[in-house]
Amino acid sequence: MKSVSKYWAIFQTTLVNSLAYPGELIGRSLMIVPFMWIFYQLWNVTFNAAGTASINGLTLRDTMWYLMLAETIELSRSFVARTVSENVKDGSIAYMLNKPYSFILYQFSNSMGETVFRALMNAVFGSVVVWRLVGAPPGLSGWTLAFLAIIGSWILNFCTACLIGLAAFAVEDISAFVWIYQKFAFILGGLLIPLDFYPAWLQSIAKALPFSAMVYGPARLFVSPSLDLFANVIMMQAIWILILGLALATAYRRGVTSLTINGG
Amino acid sequence: MKEFKFLLAIWKANLQSVMEYRASFLLQVLGMMANNFIYFAIWIIFFNRFKEVRGWGIGDMYVTFGVLASAFGLVSLFFGNAFNLSDIISKGRLDYYLSMPRPVLLHTISSRMISSGMGDFTYGFISYALSGHFSPDGLARFILGTLLAATVFAAFLILVQSLAFWLGMMSNFTNLALNAMLSFGIYPITIFDNYAKFILFTIIPAAFMGAIPAEFVRSFSWQVLMELLIGAAVFLFMAVAVFRLGLKRYESGSAIQTEV
Repeated sequence: MKSVSKYWAIFQTTLVNSLAYPGELIGRSLMIVPFMWIFYQLWNVTFNAAGTASINGLTLRDTMWYLMLAETIELSRSFVARTVSENVKDGSIAYMLNKPYSFILYQFSNSMGETVFRALMNAVFGSVVVWRLVGAPPGLSGWTLAFLAIIGSWILNFCTACLIGLAAFAVEDISAFVWIYQKFAFILGGLLIPLDFYPAWLQSIAKALPFSAMVYGPARLFVSPSLDLFANVIMMQAIWILILGLALATAYRRGVTSLTINGG
Repeated sequence: MKEFKFLLAIWKANLQSVMEYRASFLLQVLGMMANNFIYFAIWIIFFNRFKEVRGWGIGDMYVTFGVLASAFGLVSLFFGNAFNLSDIISKGRLDYYLSMPRPVLLHTISSRMISSGMGDFTYGFISYALSGHFSPDGLARFILGTLLAATVFAAFLILVQSLAFWLGMMSNFTNLALNAMLSFGIYPITIFDNYAKFILFTIIPAAFMGAIPAEFVRSFSWQVLMELLIGAAVFLFMAVAVFRLGLKRYESGSAIQTEV
């Protein structure tokens, strides 16, 4: 219990810190506004050209609210990969190893603290724009189920991003891995186009990978909530958290074993 | 001519600096190419499903993406500090460049090379080659279009980042402007109404970085070439003028800075 409260305190501290510069928080969150506006232009033209109110079960309104939540998840991600990589490269990880906490759980609490208000602000600005463009959001059940799935999405993202950050033990620069991970989340997560619009073969592949459980799952639950879909999303998240969590623990153990610290 | 020799010397030094870590350089170049390829796959999926958007097809996307990527890469490679000029201004790091007997703006923005820009630059040509619009004279137009698009892009970055002379720290705003420029530039221009198009030619000149040079690459037209030349000249003039105006307001805290 004491160890949980330790990480809860780290989470709270970062959470409060993220509110220290409200201008910074708002400024960063405004980025969702042009994105949603461009998406509306694209999908409005596309739906009109298709001459139908619904494509693969999604209306223009559904698509826009789906994209709003997907963008909120993407834009609110913490930069844990870069933080961990910097800790490894500049040697500051050495100062954390002798502290009475787990380095990984410290980063986890920190990253969750950074994410909460960023997500909230993105959701607020995104919702204002989308509401103005296509009308009211989906019902309350969608909000509740999507919220739970978003927490799973954050954990999953943390495991993947932290794993990439730990790659700094082996390579000088992890930027390329961060870009590629982000783009896989774009394409296989259904960030710019809902997976429902993909060809069937690609949908099957995407839905079996962790990216869809990070982005598509929560966003789809938001616009068309159902207990079946919810169970499916949570199960996929649990499986991938287990796999990536084990990989993360192994990579960390190996990295720390090979760590060489010079000087003081 | 004197300034060109100076630029060549800086770029040579920058290249030697980034090549110091060859594995990292190569990883960034190849990583950026893979990144662009994966990102573009989204458009392949989109146009595979919806075929075209108001007459804009996948071939047009290849060309637009190609010009935009190469122009972005060119600026990253040769004028890398244009991306963090506001940071340099607000932290008083212009002192170093002011003390040198060279044009301050040119010296500042060319003093950094972003390795991944090589990946963007190269990928742009691959994208054009795959577009189905490839021809030898088209390639010449692609190179010219890329140079003019890069001029507009660099000018836009300088313009936006120079606002730091008046507003101080503004990394969020510059990030927003950069993202808007790239996002608007990459989407088919046919989806935007006239009001939006007006914005894309003025406040966020993304049309000069994507759709207009792409139109020039697909088929030669004096009118489009003139539009590009005028756009590049006007934005470059405005960028230099705003930077010079701001420089008069520049104050430093005499902080000791090390420029590597």
